[in-house]
Amino acid sequence: MRTDTQGLRWLTTTAYNVLAIGLGILAGLLVVVYAGGNIEVALSSLFLNPITLAGGIQQIFVRFVLFYTMALGVGLALKAGLWNIGAQGQWLVGMVMVFVVYTFLGFLPWPVLYAAMIFGAAVGGLLWISVPTILRVKFGANEIVVTILLNVVAINFGFYMLSGPIKSAGTALGFPITVELPARFQIPNIVGGVPITYAVPATVAIGIILYLLVERTSFRIKANTVGENQETAKYAGISIPRVMAITMLAAGALAGLAGATYLMGFRYELDIGSFSTNYGLVAIICALVGKKHMLGIGFASFFFAYMTVGAESMALSANVTTYVVFAMEGIMMLGILLGSYLTERKFAI
Amino acid sequence: MTFALSDIITGILSTTIQLSPFYVFAGMGEIVSEQSGVANMGLEGIMLISLVTTFITDYVTGNPWVALLAALGVAGLIGAFFAFTAIRMRVDQIASGLAIYLFGLGISFVIFNTTYPTGLTPNYIGLPPLISNWNTVPYVGTIFLKQNVMAYVSLAFVVATAFFLSRTSLGLRVRAVGENPKAADNMGVNVAKVRFLATLFGALMFGLSGFYFAGNFVPGFQTDIIAGRGFIVLAMIYFANWKPYRTLFAALSFNIVYAAQSEYVALSGSGVASLSTLFNMLPYVFLLALIPIFGRKARAPKFLLRPYRKG
Repeated sequence: MRTDTQGLRWLTTTAYNVLAIGLGILAGLLVVVYAGGNIEVALSSLFLNPITLAGGIQQIFVRFVLFYTMALGVGLALKAGLWNIGAQGQWLVGMVMVFVVYTFLGFLPWPVLYAAMIFGAAVGGLLWISVPTILRVKFGANEIVVTILLNVVAINFGFYMLSGPIKSAGTALGFPITVELPARFQIPNIVGGVPITYAVPATVAIGIILYLLVERTSFRIKANTVGENQETAKYAGISIPRVMAITMLAAGALAGLAGATYLMGFRYELDIGSFSTNYGLVAIICALVGKKHMLGIGFASFFFAYMTVGAESMALSANVTTYVVFAMEGIMMLGILLGSYLTERKFAI
Repeated sequence: MTFALSDIITGILSTTIQLSPFYVFAGMGEIVSEQSGVANMGLEGIMLISLVTTFITDYVTGNPWVALLAALGVAGLIGAFFAFTAIRMRVDQIASGLAIYLFGLGISFVIFNTTYPTGLTPNYIGLPPLISNWNTVPYVGTIFLKQNVMAYVSLAFVVATAFFLSRTSLGLRVRAVGENPKAADNMGVNVAKVRFLATLFGALMFGLSGFYFAGNFVPGFQTDIIAGRGFIVLAMIYFANWKPYRTLFAALSFNIVYAAQSEYVALSGSGVASLSTLFNMLPYVFLLALIPIFGRKARAPKFLLRPYRKG
């Protein structure tokens, strides 16, 4: 009977998730209608534009890579009961580091510099999260508070770097923007005309490697024990600081790495536009929806990549601000959380 | 051009007192909420919605007090919903708080944008200064009398919150359900009810913060206008070890660093302007630097973030 209940449970969870996502979409449609938009145009923009419109497919995969890489880290830390609210900051620092390496280590030969830019981004994210990691492990300081503080610091740090050290010399008006990365420093497409870069299979590979390293070894149990009951973890001889440090530092490195794939695979230049995004929070949603499972997060990330591209297209079609997407995501997340409560209650013994 | 040192100091203190109430209101709300065991991470979302409500209501009615009521109304509604999900449905508070933040971040700008599609912001004046001819009194006028009445209300809230938590029976019950809900329940305390009231009070205070933000920080409304300042409150009460007076102190010291650096950047002119963003980091780095000193002693309520199930 156990498998029957599990199947039913999975079905119930899925049904609630679909309902929650439907609610979020409905809210978006209401805003569109209120703003005088056409509902048919809105619906087709939401569901079809991501695959029919030029650049739609590219956007989906760019965001999939972005969300998946960041959410893997968020999920990893969550397994150990740690909230990395700072993925956004680590990602920003990662992007800044790409240009720091490009600008200041420009003398390196091409393949070395190329690798150093990607590596530098991951190191940047890792250094950024090392502050909350050390404060948590050494002083027991709350990682939520520290990662939040460091997000604000990261934005200001990025502004400073953009306005000086990594600013493009060509912009006479002092507009804070970097140079555009030349073609040989961009991540190429797998097939000539199709805008899907090597970052996509690389990210999937990282996801699978983490799946094998985390879900298929005793590390999963160690992290879960630390996350759920530190007393038990201590009793079982698990090194809590070690597990915390590993998951946190990996989370920072992954978010930093997402900065490299985003810049070198899509954006090619850094300006202040990237600072007012909220991808770090979307990554948290993906990690939660994917149930902190290294592969589950991948599916959740792909879904949210598709959905955000569609929802932004819907907003633009009705001349509504793309901020409506945040409201939709908020509703979806709340709905999914409430759905998991209802599922738990239904299957409670 | 020379600047009198006394003017600079007066300016810094004036800014400090003008900005601090925003953090103090929210700080008192989050303290009471967290003391009962419920952390509301959605505070900035609630502030944003209250802020846009303040703008629109004030524009339509021309009366800031009606705007205040409206701001409190929406904050209370969202707070009640959040409390219901956290207490009755035992949803993960951090996740649902962040969801409310995302919702508030999005919907506040959507409301603003659909109400004022041209992007022109209504001219929000806010509350008048305490004394209308404040500038006739040297120093004291700029520092104290220029502030509006809400700045003083925020001080009253600090005193009231401290008194409430340590001296009243409801305050003791709030702390009891956050520290040991099982024992409180056994003594006949309605855990869910006390937590609900505490969380609702918290949300109303975030509404007050949102109301205060309008007219005292950035003129007009724009995307992500609070820009993380709401989240900083979580850090402040953490350093203050969930104590009201220490939270006031944390807010004042954060803002004095903020005011000093912005005054310095403004006075130094173009030579320092390019470094202004580095100086902007100072108040946050200052808070971070306090962690090894104060963060060690910080002890959260034992059942913070932990839902309680009767029986």
